[in-house]
Amino acid sequence: MERLGLDGLQALAAKKRVPIHRTTIFYFLGGMALFLFAIQVITGALLSLYYKPSPDQAFESVRAIMTEVDYGWLIRSIHSWSANLLIGVLFLHLLTTYIMRAYRRPREVTWITGVLLLVVFLAFGFSGYLLPWNKLAFSATRVGTAIVGAVPLVGEQLLLLARSGKEVTGDTLARFYSLHVVILPIVTFAILGVHLFLVQKHGMSVPQGVAERCGGEDKVPSMPFVPDFLVRDMVGWYLALGILAVLAALYPWELGEKADPMASTPEGTKPEWYFLFMFQTLKKVPEEVWGIRNAVLVVLFFAFVGLVVVLMPFLDRGAPRGRIRRAFNVLAAAAVIFFIVMTAWGLWE
Amino acid sequence: MAEMPEPSSRRRWLLHSLQASIAATLAALFYPVVRFLRPREATTSGALEVVAPYTPSQLKPDSEGHWPRPFNFGGKPCLLVLTPDGAKRLATGQNLLDGDVKAFNAICTHLDCTVEYRPEQADIFCNCHNGVYDVNGTNVSGPPPRPLDKYKVTLRKPGKPGDARPGQEEIVVSRTT
Repeated sequence: MERLGLDGLQALAAKKRVPIHRTTIFYFLGGMALFLFAIQVITGALLSLYYKPSPDQAFESVRAIMTEVDYGWLIRSIHSWSANLLIGVLFLHLLTTYIMRAYRRPREVTWITGVLLLVVFLAFGFSGYLLPWNKLAFSATRVGTAIVGAVPLVGEQLLLLARSGKEVTGDTLARFYSLHVVILPIVTFAILGVHLFLVQKHGMSVPQGVAERCGGEDKVPSMPFVPDFLVRDMVGWYLALGILAVLAALYPWELGEKADPMASTPEGTKPEWYFLFMFQTLKKVPEEVWGIRNAVLVVLFFAFVGLVVVLMPFLDRGAPRGRIRRAFNVLAAAAVIFFIVMTAWGLWE
Repeated sequence: MAEMPEPSSRRRWLLHSLQASIAATLAALFYPVVRFLRPREATTSGALEVVAPYTPSQLKPDSEGHWPRPFNFGGKPCLLVLTPDGAKRLATGQNLLDGDVKAFNAICTHLDCTVEYRPEQADIFCNCHNGVYDVNGTNVSGPPPRPLDKYKVTLRKPGKPGDARPGQEEIVVSRTT
């Protein structure tokens, strides 16, 4: 204990408490995301033992994982399903943190690192999607990087940087692979380290309304994190594991057909569901608005929304039920409805 | 609310079921992972017999002094050696005997380097740790613990009888396992 400095950790664990109120369930989402990320690390490391990142071998190696390697179908399906659940949990984590207004002083940086982590995990999803080198992934990567190319001024340079050339080629695959297994993991561990440190440092945030009702933050009933909350966390993780196993067993992730750079884009090409709202917006906005290309407009719009989300702790400074907060609530509700409607529309079409 | 003293056997039973569930979960998690780590079936040819890409007359050093490189036989390098006796017979136009061409699994029995034939010394040499075998594949000096694995060699004359001159035979390499 004393050699490893574990007593400090023990003291920290003993000190950490979780407030009990109507929305205590929201506190589970961060731990759930962490658990799913751990699953991604483990299954990802396993998949990398057989995966070969080259246009000649990528598809064949994933096919071998699905058909020849013992339990390869299980590991890959869990990796894919867990990735999707993780993104969903992160969206909810962001939304519930907003609802609880947990980004209030002094937790601004916790919020910013959290939003950055969401962006990093979206990049994980985008880069991982190409790796099996199938037709859908190839088209999605072409379209996705082309949208990057629509960014004003630096778009062309960004496109070259993303694709490693003017077209999606084997170099793009190598680049995405490196991003997926080297660069993004390093970035993730760095940001996640700060995020988790700050969560421990500041403790769990108590919603203002709850604190008022109880007559002060320190009067809100709470339970110790170890073991009370941790055991509840573990029940959630166990359920998630069961859900993953069921999804992987009943709906093994498909492989599709090998990418053919010269073939026409297949019908029904769609990105993963978490990019669908942008894809659908792009499809529905007229080709030209006020003489500006729609892709430019859509990219600028979502970039602006992203900026507002990142800066939320500094924009929402008013009273709990003040006019600023109410205006933001209306916008947030509109954003959620927009996301759901566009995603559903994209899935249905 | 008074704390009811629990019957210890019930508590023990609960504890044991919890431990058993945890053990079962861990087993269910690790079993697929261990199976996943096991290498899949080899994808190399399992051929028991191949015709070597060289004829006996091609078994000589090239202009840079290199002996013909080993060829792939069932995923392993196969080294062909023309014995000094065989080379003599070939030079004088005599027919080769079956023992004049030898075939070995070129993987050194010491630490899996690939050996080469040195015609000047008439021995098989391993560059990694200076292991030496004679032309029969017997380990004669250095670290190799046992002889090289040998393959059976059959010299087959192509075409009609009398067509092929000595040295033009096909070298058929075969193994029993």
